[in-house]
Amino acid sequence: MSGSKPDILWSPHHPDRYVICDSELGLYRIGPVGSSETKAGTLPLSEETAATLLAINSDTPYMKCVAWYPKHEPECLLAVGQANGRVVLTSLGQSHNSTCKELVGKEFVPKHARQCNTLAWNPVDSNLLAAGLDKHRADFSVLIWDISSKYSPEASVSSEKIRLSSVDLDSSSVVTKPLYELGQNDACLSLCWLLRDPKLLLAGMHRNLAIFDLRNTSQKTFVNTKAIQGVTVDPHFHDRVASFYEGQVAIWDLRKFEKPVLTLSEQPKPLTKVAWCPTRNGLLATLTRDSNIIRLYDMQHTPTPIGDETEPTIIERSVQPYESQIGSFAWHPSSQNRMVVVSAANRVMTDFTVFERISLAWSSTTSLMWACGRHLYDCVEDGAEGVDSVIEKDIATKMRQRAQSSYGHDTVQVWRNHLLAGGSDPQLKSLWYDLFYMKQCAEDIELKLQGNKQSVVYSGIKNIVKTTSGTTESRRCWSGSERQSDVPRYHSEERCLSLRLCGWISRGPDIDVEVFLRSLEQEREWERAAAVALFNLDIRRAIQILNKGATAEKGDLNLNVVAMALSGYTDEKSSLWREMCSSLRLQLKNPYLCVMFAFLTSEPGAYDGVLYESSVAVRDRVAFACMFLSDAQLPRYIDKLTNEMKEAGNLEGILLTGLTKDGVDLMESYVDLTGDVQTASFCMLKGSPGEVLKDPRVQCWIENYRNLLDAWRFWHKRAEFDIHRGKLDPSSKPLAQVFVSCNFCGKSISYSCSAMPHQGRGFSQYGVSGSPTKSKVTSCPGCRKPLPRCALCLMNMGTPVSNCPGTGKSDERLDLTRENKLAQFNNWFTWCHNCRHGGHAGHMLSWFKDHTECPVSGCTCKCMQLDTTGNLVPSDSS
Amino acid sequence: MDLHILDHRLRVISISKNGLVNFTHPLIKLIFLRNRTRCKFFSLTETPENYTVVLDEEGFKELQPSEHLKVESSIWLPLNVASNGNASSSSQAVGVTKIAKSVIAPLAQQHVSVFMLSTYQTDFILVKEKDLYVVISTLEEEFNIYKEVGGESVPMHCQDVPNGLQKNGKEAIQPTVHPVVIPKNQFCVMSLDPDTLPSIATTLIDVLFYSNSPKEDAANQGLDCIKFFSFSLIDGYISLVMDTEAQRQFPADLLFTSSSGELWRMVRIGGQPLGFDECGIVAQISQPLADSDISAYYISTFSFDHALVPEEDIVSVTDMLQHQRKDPAAS
Repeated sequence: MSGSKPDILWSPHHPDRYVICDSELGLYRIGPVGSSETKAGTLPLSEETAATLLAINSDTPYMKCVAWYPKHEPECLLAVGQANGRVVLTSLGQSHNSTCKELVGKEFVPKHARQCNTLAWNPVDSNLLAAGLDKHRADFSVLIWDISSKYSPEASVSSEKIRLSSVDLDSSSVVTKPLYELGQNDACLSLCWLLRDPKLLLAGMHRNLAIFDLRNTSQKTFVNTKAIQGVTVDPHFHDRVASFYEGQVAIWDLRKFEKPVLTLSEQPKPLTKVAWCPTRNGLLATLTRDSNIIRLYDMQHTPTPIGDETEPTIIERSVQPYESQIGSFAWHPSSQNRMVVVSAANRVMTDFTVFERISLAWSSTTSLMWACGRHLYDCVEDGAEGVDSVIEKDIATKMRQRAQSSYGHDTVQVWRNHLLAGGSDPQLKSLWYDLFYMKQCAEDIELKLQGNKQSVVYSGIKNIVKTTSGTTESRRCWSGSERQSDVPRYHSEERCLSLRLCGWISRGPDIDVEVFLRSLEQEREWERAAAVALFNLDIRRAIQILNKGATAEKGDLNLNVVAMALSGYTDEKSSLWREMCSSLRLQLKNPYLCVMFAFLTSEPGAYDGVLYESSVAVRDRVAFACMFLSDAQLPRYIDKLTNEMKEAGNLEGILLTGLTKDGVDLMESYVDLTGDVQTASFCMLKGSPGEVLKDPRVQCWIENYRNLLDAWRFWHKRAEFDIHRGKLDPSSKPLAQVFVSCNFCGKSISYSCSAMPHQGRGFSQYGVSGSPTKSKVTSCPGCRKPLPRCALCLMNMGTPVSNCPGTGKSDERLDLTRENKLAQFNNWFTWCHNCRHGGHAGHMLSWFKDHTECPVSGCTCKCMQLDTTGNLVPSDSS
Repeated sequence: MDLHILDHRLRVISISKNGLVNFTHPLIKLIFLRNRTRCKFFSLTETPENYTVVLDEEGFKELQPSEHLKVESSIWLPLNVASNGNASSSSQAVGVTKIAKSVIAPLAQQHVSVFMLSTYQTDFILVKEKDLYVVISTLEEEFNIYKEVGGESVPMHCQDVPNGLQKNGKEAIQPTVHPVVIPKNQFCVMSLDPDTLPSIATTLIDVLFYSNSPKEDAANQGLDCIKFFSFSLIDGYISLVMDTEAQRQFPADLLFTSSSGELWRMVRIGGQPLGFDECGIVAQISQPLADSDISAYYISTFSFDHALVPEEDIVSVTDMLQHQRKDPAAS
């Protein structure tokens, strides 16, 4: 520190006072902005705080370093080290009370004058003040003064000799005899007392760091290093010390003092100050020359170094209190992460709190936790009922609920899965209906007979309509009307199949939507039913449906009005009805009602009003297109719609893409939007195993869903999912990984049931075979020698857990009465991988409920504790 | 004890009294404008004969060759003894005396010529680069030897020195006993905060460059008083040696010295210029001082050597030296 460069010191005991020292000492008090004492002299330090200059002390010229007396009393006593090596005690803003008066003005003069580089008060024995001086060929560089000592007796003698000094010394206040003299013929650049023992002083000497022990001053511990400046002990970890050299900070562990435990990344400019945060563990702030940022090194998670090679991780970041260059900074002694910064020029000060790093963790069950400073915040989803209408629940919550309700597992009534999912998501509803219709068509024997039709079912309408051929065109009459309609309608086998996939018609040669209409009526989808009826050119049925809707319970009476308007239909091109309908239809809120009039007022072949009404379900628009678009128009429309769906990640588009590469693309954008890997996994499992399931994206969803189930500890659900997956994708079944081999012949004892696939992990499933009676299960099927005995019941393995000895557990008694099947988990082989003892899984489980050690006498293996997951309980009931 | 071979390659130069004017610019630059040069080691000593400049190669570049400039051909390396903490605090003697037995005497025996430069802060022993092998092999037993390379101390052993074959194997000849002169003026050794150097600049320039004014010549006639002034700026540390006459011209509160205000007397060694090859000169003086435990400064210059001893010890030193001259064999 040179005289012109400012430095800051916080008062060790007054949390609102600090001293700035540059050419003089200035004592400031910090307070809230706009408090009662908003005088003209206050300097704003931040938005909330301002400082008031309390006192100035310019008694001590050539200041080189300053240290604040560490004890409460006398407060505001400062030691100032001067360029000529003298240390002067001074104070600021004190009404000179007795304790202070005695000390203030006291001078400590070294034998040979040279710069005083550093000062350090002993934190415990506060009479001791260590001063580090520059080198002198014949003198010591570390002098420890006792501030309570009276002036030395020789002082009067020597003062006679002081001929060279023009400063007339008041000999009564001059001390020339230090209590300790250390570091001969060396220079001391920095000092600090070690907190682990107040008799130990760490000094940064010219070429080494030295620890002096005041109990035995002839001995010192030292290590040669360049990093000798700014030694400072971590207040939270008394063995950790930081020092620096030019741009590099070295962190030392005093217990392993031979070399730095780590060095921080080197800065291009030399460092000027390094300080541990007093309020936070392991946070080091550093400042380099001509810099406007303070670098922070967070060693919060630095493990205590063990080996030579462990290089602990440090998080480095920087803060910029303001634009201009920083002269110095000082941590607040008690306010968390707070510091005052003073600029290099003009004494511009800023009160500044370093924002704590936030570490954040998502739980697998939607709650979010983050830690900031000493606070831990938990954010949980609002579980209150009824709120879900306002805020949609997190996808993780939804997936969890759906997993619990076995969503995706209904393989027969596939559409029911949307109900399992809660039944509130129209996209999921559409998806599961699509899959349901696809499945229906795929299983249709009639279609099977038609050659390859069946194979295209899962490839989506987009592919189906591409292959369309032999389209016929017909102009049907409006049913119930004699008038010839001029609306051409197209037919082909593919269009018919598409309509089936859309769910409009069911199987059979006739295009009969009556079944569909009735089901819609049942679901009270009056408008939709009316529209479907109208598209089938049955205007009367449409009117009838609307009437029904109007009269039904809680029906909308306006439907009658719509029916009325509908009944006025005329195909006269220039009629008033047509003109009014085409303009007023846009005011109809229900999209189906809107498209009905759009249909009636459009020119044949120009149905954009229907086809691009995005509120109408995709399946209805596609079905409409299949009926009314020509072979030229249809693929173009379908392609366009498909791309739209893919981009939007709309699951309704699965109808178009099918479970193809296109479908995976669509699902990808859906997952990107929602994160719903669950639906994606279940949906894609239905696809053809060869193509779709091999897609890495699909595998990724499936694996992620399994991991998610694991993270929720839904192990039973995961097993169910794996079984489900294995059925649909046999290649996913893992090979048997564990075998139980016979001690005698070495063959696998599951040989007899090798036909059965093994899915066990860690446990062998001996006896899964459905016919345990056929072979003697207690012996090896290869050599007929007996199997090992259970360590608890002492029966040969393969015996059911019926002869459980000394059971007090009711559930085990239950086992006695029940007819045991060998396939039950209780009968499985289980053994410790460490001590190799084991037996029936059920016995082992109940043993380890009460014991930690292996049941085999003499074996002290803590088998269950070796299993990290052994103590976890699944959170799903099954 | 540690012996550090410092990271400086030094030249020893003399500037004739008349020629000083030609070098005022580079010298002022070297003294006052530290940030403008890369010179880290600079020492300027004025003696009645000439000015001796010891400086590193960076500083040497600043000086233009001239008829007034005499350059010693060797490269000199400064050695520095560090007590390494465990120093015995028993001996009060400091400086050259302390290292007389351990460094200077052994080197003299091995016929290594040394150039001493004491400062306020420490003592430098300059040896010729070609003698480095001998120095290391001689001192290896007593010291841990480190070579400083870019601020890092690297342990050295004699096999690390490439031209290890060169050994000064001259016959031990009885060194010449040189005459000594003990001038009357009192000297003080002082230091200065480099930051306050500008504030004494004018005085310093006056003392260094304008000291040969006629009035002073008259005052300093004969060898009762000797004109001697030394300024060094080494690794950022300033050291000054001057007589009390010169010291009075400086503002007292800026110069550092011992609180006891100790004063020194000078012993100048040599009747005629000593040259740079003769060895054992320093040992001649320092050995008896060490025996009597008298502390000393020692400043070699281009022509003569100068030892400073405490004022209170000058009588015994005089006696001792006279005795030595009368009976050279006894020493």
